[in-house]
Amino acid sequence: MFWNNVKIALRNLRKNKGFATINITGLAIGLTIYVFGGLIVDYERTHDLFFANADRIYTVGAIASPDLNLSFGEVNAVQSALGPIIEAELNDVEAVARSIAIEYLVTMGPDSFYQSIRFADPALLEIFNLDYLHGDSSALENPSGLLISRTAAIRYFGKADVVGEVVTLDNEFDYAISAVVADLPLNSHFNSQLLLDTPFEIVAPIQALSRMQDFDVAGNWTNLSMGNMTYVLLPASLDAAWLETQLNSIYERTVPERAKQVIASFKVNPLTAANTSLWDMIGLPVISVISLLSLLVLVIACVNYTNLATAQSLGRSREVGMRKTMGAKQSQLLGQFLVESLVIAAIAMVIAIAILEILIPQFNNATNKALAIDHLQTLPWLVVTTLLVGLFAGLYPAWLITRATPIDALRETARKGRKGSKMRSIMIGTQFAISAFMLALVAIVFMQNERVKESSYEFPRSEIYTLDRLNVDSIRDRLDTLRHELEALPNVDSAAYASQVPYEQNNSSTNVTLEPGDEAGKFSLQFMSMSPGFLDAYDIPLLAGRPLSHDIANDLRHEDSETVNVIINELALEKFGLSTPQEAIGYRFYNHSEENGSVPEFVVVGVAPTQNITGLFNAERAWMFIYQPDFFRIGSVRITGGNIMETVAQIEDVWDSVIPDYPIQGRFLDDAFNDVYDVLKYMNMALAAFAIVAFSLALIGLFGLAAFMATQRTKEIGVRKVLGANSFQIARLLVWQFSKPVVWGLAIALPGAFFASSVYLNFFADRIHTSIPILLAAGLVATLLAWGTVAGHAIRIARANPVLALRYE
Amino acid sequence: MLKLHNLYKVYQTDEIETIALNGVNLEIEQEEFVAIMGPSGCGKSTLLNVIGMLDNPSEGNYFFFDENVSPYSEAKRSDIRKMNIGFIFQSFNLIDELTVAENIELALLYHNMPASKRKKRVDEVMDRMGIAHRAKHMPGQLSGGQQQRVAVARAVVGDQPLILADEPTGNLDSVHGQEVMELLRSLNKEGTTIVMVTHSPAHADYAHRTVNLFDGHIITDNTRAA
Repeated sequence: MFWNNVKIALRNLRKNKGFATINITGLAIGLTIYVFGGLIVDYERTHDLFFANADRIYTVGAIASPDLNLSFGEVNAVQSALGPIIEAELNDVEAVARSIAIEYLVTMGPDSFYQSIRFADPALLEIFNLDYLHGDSSALENPSGLLISRTAAIRYFGKADVVGEVVTLDNEFDYAISAVVADLPLNSHFNSQLLLDTPFEIVAPIQALSRMQDFDVAGNWTNLSMGNMTYVLLPASLDAAWLETQLNSIYERTVPERAKQVIASFKVNPLTAANTSLWDMIGLPVISVISLLSLLVLVIACVNYTNLATAQSLGRSREVGMRKTMGAKQSQLLGQFLVESLVIAAIAMVIAIAILEILIPQFNNATNKALAIDHLQTLPWLVVTTLLVGLFAGLYPAWLITRATPIDALRETARKGRKGSKMRSIMIGTQFAISAFMLALVAIVFMQNERVKESSYEFPRSEIYTLDRLNVDSIRDRLDTLRHELEALPNVDSAAYASQVPYEQNNSSTNVTLEPGDEAGKFSLQFMSMSPGFLDAYDIPLLAGRPLSHDIANDLRHEDSETVNVIINELALEKFGLSTPQEAIGYRFYNHSEENGSVPEFVVVGVAPTQNITGLFNAERAWMFIYQPDFFRIGSVRITGGNIMETVAQIEDVWDSVIPDYPIQGRFLDDAFNDVYDVLKYMNMALAAFAIVAFSLALIGLFGLAAFMATQRTKEIGVRKVLGANSFQIARLLVWQFSKPVVWGLAIALPGAFFASSVYLNFFADRIHTSIPILLAAGLVATLLAWGTVAGHAIRIARANPVLALRYE
Repeated sequence: MLKLHNLYKVYQTDEIETIALNGVNLEIEQEEFVAIMGPSGCGKSTLLNVIGMLDNPSEGNYFFFDENVSPYSEAKRSDIRKMNIGFIFQSFNLIDELTVAENIELALLYHNMPASKRKKRVDEVMDRMGIAHRAKHMPGQLSGGQQQRVAVARAVVGDQPLILADEPTGNLDSVHGQEVMELLRSLNKEGTTIVMVTHSPAHADYAHRTVNLFDGHIITDNTRAA
């Protein structure tokens, strides 16, 4: 009986090739997206499982203090001071290790290059079992030892056995390679680029940091950056909740006040969550959204199938009637129709897997991931999915067609009546609700991203060439020479140095008071160090006062400065209770810190307009600009006119002549913007891909259904034409039949999109306020496309000779 | 074999009540060949559908082998139907996607019969109906007469004791019509009970008994000597 049903199913497919193609294509696309989404989600959520202790390793993160007004709620990193405290206080913890990622100029053999290095406690190698090709897990115990990956060894030395070879950091500090390990699989959070572009290639002992820079191995509470990981290995008997309780008791007892202003509490995450922690950090549930969207696309594909199959199955009413006459029970007929939909689902699944086999390697190449269909492991999931899709999509038409009494079925009452037409309308409405919802979201996200891009032009980002990695003493000594030589270039307008450039997501702030030592009245200002030419390079005019100068003693801050002249931005005026920029000139306020008390005293000499320096999704903040060369990290060279590439070449030549011992780290400010903007852009592109697929499926379904309904109504149309209806009236009749559910779908989709888009918009400080017109426009586009899809059929049928139409039945 | 007692069938639409069968009493013995005649809309097909348990009477009792089936559910009637009754329709009602052999086999598919036995039985019947050479053809490739032979084969393949034929010759020319009638007559001679609705007095002559219906009443019921 089963094979008999399969046979009939295949013959039916062959007979109705057009519908079969639409059905199978639709389901195959839906399944491709769904399986792909599932694979991505599974891949992202199962990172790091290959570590032997994966289920006992936790990372310690922090919840950002709400007063800080940051754009993110939590971060999967803590200050480096916590690790040693855990080690000292929590005896039940098996091991704890910090890892701090910092970029250095690395010299291996003849090559010099900048690379981010992980500085880690030796216990890191106890927590994570690595595959040692040479050396062993004691590699980090020697403060001048270094662990490197096989790829790095081969790349720089041409061989894997490089133990004992010397590696130099920043031209000064020598390390001897103590171990070479096999490369970590791509699906480790250590390799996740989005989180931190630090491939697992070089690991150095954390003690090395104290040798090279002002770093205390006991750690500090002042620096919290994304590269600061703290890993904890717990015995199997203890869990994350236990650790979190212990840590928050440490928070109460030990964490200094200054750090408490930054983090509100600690948060413990399992190791497997480390890979996706960026999304938790910025509060966009990207992984869940992928699951949801791919499921929605599949639902649309199923509904497509259900709808077409329902319409089509009515044409098989006679067959059902005959089978019932001969004694078939409804359950047996249900079985037959479900076998048919299962056959179609199975064919679609096979096609989907074939598509994925082609698609996944391309995707892996483009994204540096290692997704794969592990056929054995995914088989149960794929089979269950196929069964569910077949049953879910086929149940309604099967039930509808087999429900009729034999006599009704034989008379084809079902076909001629309006049976199922309400359900069909609901299904079309559902499809359009889902797909228009996605389209509308894409439109809103797109407009918001455009807004971000628009506002980024307040800085001349395509004319600024930045020079990174200036924070080395021997480079800082030569910055004045570099500036003079750069400014002598014909197309360079000015060159300036600063602790950051616009769009970089740094949050340096400093506590200040209006009266010296006024603990209660302290507040924080964003802090940036810049050379006097900085505002000039960025075309930022002063609203009042004068720019900082190389020639005025108090304009330059050094270690012993007691009075420092500063520039503030307009937003800072509010914090001082001042109303005009002019009033601020000469205004005095005070540093407030545990180490230096209320020294130095700051004097406002200039007021700049408020600009959104961190840009993108951040709110504008109150800033203080100080000329403090020991904080310089990055240069900004303003290029005006001339051939830009030629000028860049000249800048490189100047660098090489002034600072020949360090390679130039130059790029346009555009790239700094795109670093973050690209994440937003690619997110919307992915969303758009989902939406386009969903909407196309809905249109394909509508197209098929319209074709079917048009043939069903041929006789009615013939009669109407004989009675004098013209082509336009007929076409309108057919189009209207499908318009109602589309409009209903939109009525549900658009408010839904309005609320859903607020999740995204809330992420931005500067939001678009035009979401309603955008939603309406998206709705209109969806409706027009739906009409366009149906109109083709409608016009063709409406123009046909009425006699032909009548003869049809 | 079957007995209809004071049977009513009323079709109710929104406002109109149509009485298709109006107090019909009819008894049919085994091995009879009965023709039901009457003008269009007199209730012939309704009567046949009720006898075939495709439709329930609105009122009255229907005894099939002394069992009152009128209150039975569709599932239960379906069980009785598939073992006892074969159907032949004016429009053949063959399934276009199945071959001749498969169409015939369909009637056995719901009988819990092993596939090998089904195949044997289908071959036998095709031989008897002279359509064995058409076994692998699709219905669309056959003439009307041949299609109706397939339909007859399908009606008898389950060895049902009763065949109900609803204008079996209505879509056929006279030559093919006569062939089908001969087929029915020979089935009847082998012991199958046949109840046939027809418009054609000539074809009604093949039957031993003619029942005339008018507006849902039986107005004449004549049995001829064999």
